[in-house]
Amino acid sequence: MSQTNGFDGLKIIGDRINPGFKSTKALMDANDMEGIQALAVKQVEAGAEYLDITVGRRAKEDPKFLIDVIKAVQEVVAVPLCMDEPEVPLQRVMLEAYDQDKAGGQLPLVNSVVEPRYAMMQLYKEVRPFKVILLTSERVEDGVNKTNRSADEVISTAKRVTRRMQDEYGVPLNDIFIDVQVVAVCSDSYGQHRAAHAAVQAIHTDPEMQGVHMMGGLTNVGQMLPPKAVDGSDLKLCLENVFLTRVVPHGFDYVLATPWRQFSPIPADHYVSQVYDEFLQATGTDALRKARKFYKAGL
Amino acid sequence: MADKLSDITPDEQNLIDWLADMQEEEAVALAMKMLLEEKKDPIRVLEVCRAAMDIVGQRFAEGEYFLPELVLAGEMLESISAVAKPIIKETQGDQEQSKLGKVLIGTVHGDLHDIGKNIVSFMLDINGYNVRDIGVDVAVQTFIDEINDFQPDVVGLSGFLTLAFDSMKETVEGIAAAGLRDKFKIMIGGGQIDDNVLKYTGADAYGVNAVEAIALCNKWLGVEA
Repeated sequence: MSQTNGFDGLKIIGDRINPGFKSTKALMDANDMEGIQALAVKQVEAGAEYLDITVGRRAKEDPKFLIDVIKAVQEVVAVPLCMDEPEVPLQRVMLEAYDQDKAGGQLPLVNSVVEPRYAMMQLYKEVRPFKVILLTSERVEDGVNKTNRSADEVISTAKRVTRRMQDEYGVPLNDIFIDVQVVAVCSDSYGQHRAAHAAVQAIHTDPEMQGVHMMGGLTNVGQMLPPKAVDGSDLKLCLENVFLTRVVPHGFDYVLATPWRQFSPIPADHYVSQVYDEFLQATGTDALRKARKFYKAGL
Repeated sequence: MADKLSDITPDEQNLIDWLADMQEEEAVALAMKMLLEEKKDPIRVLEVCRAAMDIVGQRFAEGEYFLPELVLAGEMLESISAVAKPIIKETQGDQEQSKLGKVLIGTVHGDLHDIGKNIVSFMLDINGYNVRDIGVDVAVQTFIDEINDFQPDVVGLSGFLTLAFDSMKETVEGIAAAGLRDKFKIMIGGGQIDDNVLKYTGADAYGVNAVEAIALCNKWLGVEA
């Protein structure tokens, strides 16, 4: 039934039911449930193991629409849903609307908990158990929210919150999806790509973290860069594939993405891969100078 | 704009070309030579830089340049103005502060992204605005206190995360509740802002890049571009 991507062990959380995509927004604006259902089926047929669901800002004013979308999608596909909503009351609405039987008994996936929004976990007891995406982009330090930039900050946040989820709610490790934030190459002046690679490798080998999944969304990676690399290849897709080529062997096993995207490993001698290596070694505006090499010949 | 500069010398033309073409080492070295060895008028040197920045902005708008070029251009200009500004201050006191208008800018609370904001701050500065940048994760009350102190003509709210939209809305509402809403224009900017977000936040306008931010300020303050 399912088309597979080119990476062994990489699974896809389909991201198309999101009004950030213009075509999806048009379906939602028109309350076109059949269209949304067709989009759900298309993603599952293309290999999606989960379907991410968000209706954007409309959820706040019209939570019934959110419920209708969940029910409509569950009528036509049997994969579990990924509830993409940062606010606790709306996440509650989504979890209450979810029909576990229709997903073959599988738990929903909550997208997402971040340490400053740990209160989301209360729904685990109040509504129902779930799998959970733990975003490692921020932490709480002495009561203050801070952005994680270094690998150590990402790793320690992942471990601390994972332990807390286990201790307080008994969440099994393989129900936790660590989201290592992958920032845009052209806004990475703090070495966050380097940190993401280091974090993935460290979490993969950490005895306390055996069983957790690792994931991320990659649409940001090529943001604000031109469509073509110097060698004529699709720069954004290549960057995503270069990233995946490096992290999938280290346990990065889920990607939030469009299921029919052409994910496949990229050889180390590919132009984009070689420039990415140089980019990874650089920091600050030097990293941006390297990033220019992706699309500018003769640098 | 480049056409506002008259009698451009060959050195000045080189500076414009090198800045616009991202020849960083040559551009910065030439600017330093003009400022420190040849004792050229630092205001004139900054005007030349501004002309180069217009070209960079134009290339960005036309899809020839991308974010890295904007940031690198910003960095070159920062190093040049770090040398030029003290000389201006030395020779003219604080007169340089009588600029086109005052812009207060900050990243709203809950958001720590600063690259876009820094570019906008720098570009406004180099285009003749008196800019006060109050940093990231700025609380509503801090915005209000700074507005009262600085009396800006334009307030810029920056934010990259979608969560920042709520913070922007709260900030605009806080400003209104403090009775300050009609004293200046509010522009918003960041990664994913569109007309819906603008409407949601209650700001006056949005810009998707530094060039648009400058155009907004120029429009509101009647500055001819």
